[in-house]
Amino acid sequence: MDEISPELITTLYRSPNTAYKLSLLQWQKVILVLRHHQLLARYQQRFVQKGVFDALPEYCRRHFRNAKVIADNHNLHVAFEARELTTTLIKRTEYFIFLKGASYSLSNHPVGIGRIYSDIDVLVDAPSIVNVESQLYDQGWLSQPVSDYDDRYYRKWAHEIPPMRQSTRGTIIDIHHNIVPPISGRAPDVQALINEVIKSPEGYFILSPAAMTLHSLVHLFFNEDMKRGFRDLIDLDILMSTNTDTNYWQTLARLAAETGFELELFLACRYTHLTFGTIIPEKINEGLNKYKPKNLKLLDFMFSRILTPEHPYARSPFFSLAELMVLLRGHWLKMPLHILTYHLCAKGFISLTKMLLGKHFFEREVDKT
Amino acid sequence: MSSHFVLDLPPFSFAVHSDIAQVKSNLSIIYEQCLSKRDQQLVDYEISMVKSSGIRRFFRPQARFMCDQNEPFKPLDFQKSYAFLEWGMNWTVTAYEVQHLIIHSAVLAKGDKAVLFPAPSGSGKSTLTAYLAFNGWRLLSDEMALIIPNTRTVTPFVRPICLKNQSIDITKDLFPDGKFSDIAKDTHKGDVIHLSPPKTSWDAHKQNAELVAVVFPNYRADTDLQIYQLDKSQAFMQLVENAVNYSVLRNIGFSTLTNLIEGIQTFEIFHNNLSDVQAFLEEEVLVNG
Repeated sequence: MDEISPELITTLYRSPNTAYKLSLLQWQKVILVLRHHQLLARYQQRFVQKGVFDALPEYCRRHFRNAKVIADNHNLHVAFEARELTTTLIKRTEYFIFLKGASYSLSNHPVGIGRIYSDIDVLVDAPSIVNVESQLYDQGWLSQPVSDYDDRYYRKWAHEIPPMRQSTRGTIIDIHHNIVPPISGRAPDVQALINEVIKSPEGYFILSPAAMTLHSLVHLFFNEDMKRGFRDLIDLDILMSTNTDTNYWQTLARLAAETGFELELFLACRYTHLTFGTIIPEKINEGLNKYKPKNLKLLDFMFSRILTPEHPYARSPFFSLAELMVLLRGHWLKMPLHILTYHLCAKGFISLTKMLLGKHFFEREVDKT
Repeated sequence: MSSHFVLDLPPFSFAVHSDIAQVKSNLSIIYEQCLSKRDQQLVDYEISMVKSSGIRRFFRPQARFMCDQNEPFKPLDFQKSYAFLEWGMNWTVTAYEVQHLIIHSAVLAKGDKAVLFPAPSGSGKSTLTAYLAFNGWRLLSDEMALIIPNTRTVTPFVRPICLKNQSIDITKDLFPDGKFSDIAKDTHKGDVIHLSPPKTSWDAHKQNAELVAVVFPNYRADTDLQIYQLDKSQAFMQLVENAVNYSVLRNIGFSTLTNLIEGIQTFEIFHNNLSDVQAFLEEEVLVNG
């Protein structure tokens, strides 16, 4: 009776009218799950938009209102950081572009409303990275401590450098020179994206809605970590269903072809449509049909589970199996076999030690000097 | 054996899960009537305080605080687990609740007139808080004053008083019948103990009060009571520093604090005698408030 399921939460987004049917104890769990997935403010926005918010119990409205205040503050904070970063770096790089969450906020597009994220992602030309790092250092941004292994991993194989943290404000920045790791052999010529750069209303460089969508879906489907998969799928739904540009779909399909991510576009269209009923133009579906993978049944098994708001209160059967499969698939996509073997051995040793000796074995106690 | 409780602490409620005996025994000492077995109650937050996993639990065991699936702190030494849970609750409220301006401060009231006592560690604030709470005042909060935006109204959030180092022995002498938790040794604040406020404070835990003054207390062993009227702008800046969600509330935070500071008395006091302070508060501050 007071149980909830991943489908209940997905349906709540797709058809906000179902909100009236929930018991208070169901709401309690739904709110925990949404908070865990950083989706409270996003659902609040959805409920307001669909006119159901005011009829919700005060218990829910209070938690949603809290999340809304925090998300609005988050947006203002990102706007502030964007100003600082742009002033510092725009003249020292060939290009300086905001990606993902930060660009959603800066774009004034509906996808940015109620969107919470833990770091600011930017794309700069690879040769400028060293320069950017030292400039940021002068402004109080410090490289986050990562293990020696991880640092080498970033520098040698990844498409980004280890995150940097603003020492007084706590903001974290991820500096990218590509959208996927070069070691995967799938890193596209970034020029394809650079051609799609536009200026946000306040004058920041961001990707056009179509390129933003492409990056969003590559980030989701060409990845081994889908902890935020459900949230990212909602982003895709909003990006795809609120665009007003008549060339949007055409540009999206062309970009997918230019960068070699047609399969990822196929998957994005498939799962947004299956989950939220996102409308995909017939022409696009037809064009993508030839990228339909042979192992679609297997992918359906994985993604129909992994792209849900997972939580101890809302867990699909076989979720852990799906998670493992996504992890393996993601690594397989990103690394050639010999590198993958080396990487898994190194990571495996660390995990095994933690499993045997406790998750925090390698950490110091905070109140011991 | 792990247990599931509900802590009903208006305006918030917590489901607490713990497998640590010390946590359970301290919760029942401190919270008594606010503590119940978890059943079908509606709660705001699910928190837990559990032993860390792995072989580690058999040697140098550690305690982990979780707020739902989120672990905001690194684990701590086992014997600090109850104090750690209290701080975890503070963290939870600070991280997610923005319907009030939250000031890191004690608030006590007599009738419905309340006084705010913000002060850093070591100023004797908590000793003063305990003294007043056991001498005719009621405690609204020891560490987190919840102010309704753009008013002078404080919503109580009654919790135990957190006493540190020397004040542990002082308060144990002063209130031998007080309900004290176990001592958490060597925390980042030194040795720490929690003291449950008297029944009158718990009974009035839904009764708001109106602020009439802010008093910054300083204990000085060699100083008889000295009272300084604080400049409004100085007092404002000190409150800003203590307002933990000031930056999140932005304009509302600013307007609440300016409105507050313009409407109440502002003092800084130095003292070596708690009853002098009480007399000053009752004969001067409340009368003029």
